[in-house]
Amino acid sequence: MVTLDTNATIEDRPTQPAGIRTTRGYRVFQVVNGLILTGVVIATLYPIVNIVARSFSSDGYIRSGKVNLLPRGFNVTTYKAVMTNSMFWTDYRNTVVYTVVATVVAMVLTTAYAYVLSKRDLRGRGVLVGVAVFTMFFSGGLIPNYVLVTTLGLKNSVWAIALPNAISVFNLLVMKAFFEGLPVELEEAAAIDGLNTYGILWRVVLPLSKAVLATMVLFYAVSFWNSWFAAFLYMDHSDLMPVTVYLRNLIYGSTNATSVGASEADASALGANIQAVTIVLTTLPILVVYPFVQRYFVSGVTLGAVKG
Amino acid sequence: MNNISRRSMLVSLGAASLGAATLGLTGCSSDSGSDDKGKDLSKNREDAMDKFGVNEQFKAAKPIAFTTLLNDNPGYPEKAGWLFWTELAKRTNVTLKPTVVPLSDYENKRSVLIGSGSAPALLPKTYTGQEVPFVASGAILAVSDYVDLLPNYRDKVARWNLQGDVETLLQDDGKYYVLPGLHQDVWIDYTFAIRTDILEELGLQVPETLDDLHNVLKAMKAAHPDSYPMSDRWNQPTAGGALLQTIGQAYGCGYGGGWGYQNATFDTAAGKFVLTGAMDQYKGMIEYVHTLVAEKLLDPESFTQTDDQAEAKFTSGKSFVISTNAQELVNIYRPGLAKSVPNGKVAKIPVPIGPAGAVKVGLRLENGLMISTKARDSKDFVAMMQFVDWLFYSDDGQIFAKWGVEGVTYTRDAAGNFHLTNDVDYVGLNPTATKKLNVDFGFSNGNFAYGGSTQLLESTFSQEEKDFQKVMNARKTLPVPPPHPLNADEQEQFALYEAPLKDYVQQQTLKFILGDRPLSQWDAFKSELKGKNGDQYLSLINGAYDRYKKSKAGGDKS
Repeated sequence: MVTLDTNATIEDRPTQPAGIRTTRGYRVFQVVNGLILTGVVIATLYPIVNIVARSFSSDGYIRSGKVNLLPRGFNVTTYKAVMTNSMFWTDYRNTVVYTVVATVVAMVLTTAYAYVLSKRDLRGRGVLVGVAVFTMFFSGGLIPNYVLVTTLGLKNSVWAIALPNAISVFNLLVMKAFFEGLPVELEEAAAIDGLNTYGILWRVVLPLSKAVLATMVLFYAVSFWNSWFAAFLYMDHSDLMPVTVYLRNLIYGSTNATSVGASEADASALGANIQAVTIVLTTLPILVVYPFVQRYFVSGVTLGAVKG
Repeated sequence: MNNISRRSMLVSLGAASLGAATLGLTGCSSDSGSDDKGKDLSKNREDAMDKFGVNEQFKAAKPIAFTTLLNDNPGYPEKAGWLFWTELAKRTNVTLKPTVVPLSDYENKRSVLIGSGSAPALLPKTYTGQEVPFVASGAILAVSDYVDLLPNYRDKVARWNLQGDVETLLQDDGKYYVLPGLHQDVWIDYTFAIRTDILEELGLQVPETLDDLHNVLKAMKAAHPDSYPMSDRWNQPTAGGALLQTIGQAYGCGYGGGWGYQNATFDTAAGKFVLTGAMDQYKGMIEYVHTLVAEKLLDPESFTQTDDQAEAKFTSGKSFVISTNAQELVNIYRPGLAKSVPNGKVAKIPVPIGPAGAVKVGLRLENGLMISTKARDSKDFVAMMQFVDWLFYSDDGQIFAKWGVEGVTYTRDAAGNFHLTNDVDYVGLNPTATKKLNVDFGFSNGNFAYGGSTQLLESTFSQEEKDFQKVMNARKTLPVPPPHPLNADEQEQFALYEAPLKDYVQQQTLKFILGDRPLSQWDAFKSELKGKNGDQYLSLINGAYDRYKKSKAGGDKS
C-alpha cells in the first residue's frame, strides 16, 4: 500500500533514530498510525476533490447527486461566467489588497511589539504583556468596536480591516518566545560593534528569524485571506467587499432563498456549480502558497513553542 | 485564529477598549428618549407635499436623499446604475443612499447598526417579529403613531380588511414598529408535486383530499412495490417543514406543524389559546402521516434527508410525490426529470383538503419596513413618510417597484395584463431575452417589491400557477389569531419557555410519526407538555390576550 508507507515515513522521520531496530509493538503502531492518517487524508481530501469535480460538472448531474470524485458532463461554462463577472474580480482584487496591506501592517506591529517584550530587563514589561494578554480574555464587544471604528473614520477603508486586527496575541507570544531564545551575546556583540537598537533588530535579529517570520506571514495572510467578518461589518458597499463575503453571500443565497419560503422576488435560480467554481477560484491562491512556506511553517511554530 | 485576532481588535490602542465601551453606551442612550416629543410635525415638513392622497404621485419639493439599508441578493447584486434608482429620483425627487449588506448576514449587520446608533433611516426586509428586540431600546420608530401620514397604507388596510392582521404586530404599549408588506389575499405557494404520467398510467384522478392522496399513494405502491411513492424534503430548520405545515393546516391546527408550528393556537370555540401540540387536530395530523410511513407509502428518510437527496429520488423516477412550490417545480423537478425520465410529467396539485375543509391559513402580511427613530427629528420626516407610502403602498409605486417603467421594461395590454418588453426577462417569462428585470434594471427587488393586489402578485405567474392560485383563492381564509402583546418581563419568560417546548413537541412528533413511540402514549405526551411549562406558557399568552381585550374594550368606550 503505497499511500500508507509514504505517510508512515513522513511521520516517523523526526522520531525514529537511524540504525535502531524497531520493535514489534512499534511496527504495529506504525501500521495503525498509517491507517488512521490515511483515513484523515481521505476525509480531508474528499470534499476538496468533490468541489473541484462539481465545479467542472453540469447542473443536471449535480442536482441529481451523481458527482463524486470525477466531473460528469464536463464543461467550463460556469468558470467563464464567474470569470467574466466584474464584481467577482473587484472583490477578488479587494481581498488581495486587504490581505497584503493588513499582513504588512500586522507584521511590522507584531514584530516590533514582540521584540520589545522579549527584552527581559525592560521596565514595565509585565504591564505591556498584560495589556496584550488582557485582550485575549476580554474584548470591548461588537457594538463598541463598531462605534470606535466608525468614530475614527476608518469605515469603508482598508484600515478598518488592517488596524483593529493588526496584532494577534497568539502570534505575538510565539514571536516573543522565539526572540527570547536568540542568544543575548549576539546582540551584545552587535552593540559593541556600534549598532543601535534598530540596527540590531534589522541586521542581526530579523535575518536570524526567517523561520518565525515566514510562519507569521503565513498565519496572518491566511487569516486575512479567509476573514470576512470585519469587512462585512465595516464596508457599506458591495464593491468594497472581499471575495469571501461575495462567496458567503452566494452560497447562502443559493441554499436558503428557495427553501425557507422567502418572498417570490428572492427566489433566484443560481447554477448548482457556481458555488463550487467560486470556492475553487477563491482558495486556489492560498493553496498554491502553502507548499512553499510549509517548511518554515513547521520549524517556526515548534521553535517558538519549545523555547517559550 | 480569526477569533483571536478579533478579540485583540483593540490591542494597538491599548486600553482604549474601555473608552470604546463608554462610547457604545452613549451611542445607544442618545437614541432613546425621543419618544415623547409629541406629534408636532410642523418642523419636519420640509420638501413634503401639502396634500398627499391615495394614488397621488409623490414628488418632493426639491431633490432630497434618504439613507436605506439594502439586502444584497447574490441573484441580482446591487448596481449603482440601476434604472430603479434613476427613475425613482426622476419621479419622486428622492435619491436613496443604500448601505449594501450581503443577504447572508443581513440581520447581524442590522442589529449592529441599530445598536450602535448609526442605522440608516429606512430598514426594509424586516420579517414579522424581528422588530421586537429593538422596541425596548427606543431606536425604532413606533410607526403606528404616524399612519395618518400614509394615506395609501391606510386605504389598503381598510379596503382589504387587514386590520386584524396588522393588529398581530402590536406590542405591549399598543403600538407597532414595523410597516408590513400587505397582501390582498393569503398566498399559498407550498403544496405537493405529483407525477401525472403515473396517475394516467394507473388510471387515477388528481387527489383532491388527503384521503384521495392516501389512496393514490397506495395505488402507486401496489404498482411499484419496491419504491416509496413519496419521499419528501425541506427539513431545515425544522424536520418535515413543508409537509407537516401543509397537512397540519388541512387538519385545522392553526398554522400547522413543521415550518408553521407555533406553540399556541387560538381555539375560536373556547375563545382562548391552547397548546398546538396537545390539540386533537395535531394528533390527527400525526396519525395521518404515521399511517403513510407505516404503510411504507412515505419514505421514513423524508424527515432527515437533505433537499438534494429528496430531489434526486424524485427526478430520477424513484419517488412520485414530493413537496413543492412554484419555483422548485420549474427550476428543479421538471428539468431534472426530463433528463432521466423523458416521458415523465409533473404538476403542482391544489393543496389536498383535510378535515378542516376547503380553507387556507396564513397571515396576509409580508416582511416590511422599520424606520429609525432618529429620522423622526429630521426636517424631511413628513416627506420621507409620504415617499415610503408612495413607493411601498400606492398602486403606482408597487407597479413601478415590480415591473419598472412602462415602454422600457414592460407594456400593458387593454385587459391590464403585464408583458415584459422583448429584450427583458424575469423568472423565465421571456427566456430568449438578454437582460433581466432584476439583475439589469433593479426592479422586482425583494427590498422594495412585495405584497400588493392579487392581480399584481399573479402578474408574474405562469398560466399553470395562475390556475393553481384560482383554485386556492376560492377557498375560505380563516381569521388570524387575536393579538396577545407581551410586556418586557413576559417576553423574557416567554423566550425561556418557547424553544424547549417547541423542540420537545417537534421531537416527539417525529417519534410518533416514525413509529418510535406508539400513539397509545398520546395522553402521556400531553401531560409531559405540562412538565415543559406548557401551562405557564398558556397562562402567559392568555393573560396577555385578556389584557389586550380589556384595553381594547376600554379604548373603544372612551
